[in-house]
Amino acid sequence: MTRRHSVNRPPTPDTRDEQENEPTLKEIINIKLIESGEKERLMELLRERLVESGWKDEMKALCREYIKKKGRNNITIDDLVHVITPKGRASIPDPIKAELLQRIRTFLVSPTL
Amino acid sequence: MYSSNDLYTNPKPCKHLAEYKVKNGMCGYNLIQDCFRTTPYGRTTLEMSKLEIPRCSVCSGCQGRLYMCLICSSVFCCLSPESNHALLHSQSQDGHEILVNMERAELYCSVCCDQVYDPDFDKAVMCKLIKGFSRSENGVEESEMRLSKRRRLSFGMDLDSKNMKRLFIRKSKSCFPLGLRGLNNLGNTCFMNSVLQVLLHAPPLRNYFLSDRHNREICRKMSTDRLCLPCDIDLIFSAVFSGDRTPYSPTQFLYSWWQHSENHATYEQQDAHEFFISMLDKIHDKEGKASLAIKDNRDCQCIAHRAFYGLLRSDVTCASCGFTSTTHDPCMDVSLDLSACNSSRKDFASKSSKPNESLVGCLDLFTRPEKLGSDQKLYCENCHEKQDALKQMSIKKLPLVLCFHIKRFEHSPTRKMSRKIDCHMQFPLSLDMKPYLSSSIVRKRYGNRIFSFDSDESDVSTEFEIFAVVTHSGMLESGHYVTYLHLRNQWYKCDDAWITEVDEEAVRASQCYLIYYVQKMLYHKSCEDFSCQPMSLRADTFVPITGCC
Repeated sequence: MTRRHSVNRPPTPDTRDEQENEPTLKEIINIKLIESGEKERLMELLRERLVESGWKDEMKALCREYIKKKGRNNITIDDLVHVITPKGRASIPDPIKAELLQRIRTFLVSPTL
Repeated sequence: MYSSNDLYTNPKPCKHLAEYKVKNGMCGYNLIQDCFRTTPYGRTTLEMSKLEIPRCSVCSGCQGRLYMCLICSSVFCCLSPESNHALLHSQSQDGHEILVNMERAELYCSVCCDQVYDPDFDKAVMCKLIKGFSRSENGVEESEMRLSKRRRLSFGMDLDSKNMKRLFIRKSKSCFPLGLRGLNNLGNTCFMNSVLQVLLHAPPLRNYFLSDRHNREICRKMSTDRLCLPCDIDLIFSAVFSGDRTPYSPTQFLYSWWQHSENHATYEQQDAHEFFISMLDKIHDKEGKASLAIKDNRDCQCIAHRAFYGLLRSDVTCASCGFTSTTHDPCMDVSLDLSACNSSRKDFASKSSKPNESLVGCLDLFTRPEKLGSDQKLYCENCHEKQDALKQMSIKKLPLVLCFHIKRFEHSPTRKMSRKIDCHMQFPLSLDMKPYLSSSIVRKRYGNRIFSFDSDESDVSTEFEIFAVVTHSGMLESGHYVTYLHLRNQWYKCDDAWITEVDEEAVRASQCYLIYYVQKMLYHKSCEDFSCQPMSLRADTFVPITGCC
């Protein structure tokens, strides 16, 4: 009996592909948050808090200042995002961060998960 | 919504957007419309699938701003000017410059690295939004609730858009077909209301009364008899098809009904089937006597008989010599046994264990040869002796409106008690009665032969469409009747004064007691001409439809 040569063998899967197929813990949590609608609720909560704390007005002022400096016609949304994002991240009030973290923790241990 | 923008002129589109518009027009905007979704907080986002979160097709990351290409629907991220995958995409694919921000549903040009504006795109978004809100009767809150409900169901996108479309087609109450009006319960009269709803929407009866074939004025002048049931039915027809949607109280009819049958003149619960039969009899009494048909020995031409009159054929065959005697019985409905739940029944085919919860199954059982018991021996004209016999039922003449009565109330003589059979029954929306016609049954008896047994039946239409189901919930002694009407491919639940749209599942989940089919050609006709029913005939009694609630 001769051994049959396999011609139509599928290509060996890439090791990189395998890595991609297995989502990281962070990604799993992200998916769960989206599926349950919790992410939407968290986003809305965050928006509310940032407005309340004056963070949004602060950012608005920074943007206006930057646009004035560069000139109204010489600026793109990408420039603005790139410049403002680090400042924005740095100036989020700690209590808001803590509240959101607490909310995510509660979500992760909730029985509905 | 644009009034506050008077100070601003529309920003000039960048050359990439202008090129895109010249090449593709509104095509991309229209296609992407199905992906717009409103979050419970009223924001519009872009969603491709419920199951997957969007990922950049270059780095498969899901961080940062995500954009969807309007040409190829691929998703790209833009984390920083150094790793702008959207820009990378437009550099490798010519003409793929315009993308949509997935989180905000806003236009973006990847070459200019900037937000771009197009009134047509915004119109597409707003169009979708407005349509989305108008789906619900109570405005924004309910639509948001529905959306969040849909979200939990985690459908795929295609399924989801189908669901959306279905919700779209749903109209507000004022768009219910004409003639849907609740009937107030006048004290345990749900048996009456449920049957009245059926009769009001039975196409032959509706056409008869709405075309003024029974005129109250003329009837009053013609007859000295003050009581006239068809007159009262005509009154209900006028009230129900007036366009007024507030529940109607058929008091006049009930009073008249009590006068006609004194044994029913109570506030007690009654059997809907009994009421249906006696009501047809009462209509026949009044209308049939007026016509000359009975004298000519023809079929009665009264409206009750023209709509519901059928003929059953029963063949009793002598078991010893094979002689068959045939009798024909008039019928207004076909009563069917629910045998699956009734193990005591002795079937000729001895397949009593076979489940029989479908209408087709019941009809098979109905037309199956049945061995008559020893107490019902047939006097055979051929043997001149009492012999065991086989009895087989079939339908000789199909009526225009076919009513099936499901025998849910079983009386057991041995236990001397009655009970209700609570099982569900499946029924088809379209039914072909051909296998149950006498010609088919007799043909089957003689085997597979090409021979016309009953030529006069061949031209009869045997295709039926369902239009009403009367269901019973509760116990034998007390319960509640609800009618489901199938009009224009939508089910409506008529629960006394309340009329609501329901899904087919709701109808299937209830216990049907009376099932009404109408000949297919009449059903389709009724679908088409319903909305343009000529109003001029009864212009005096109709009020304009625009004034409905």
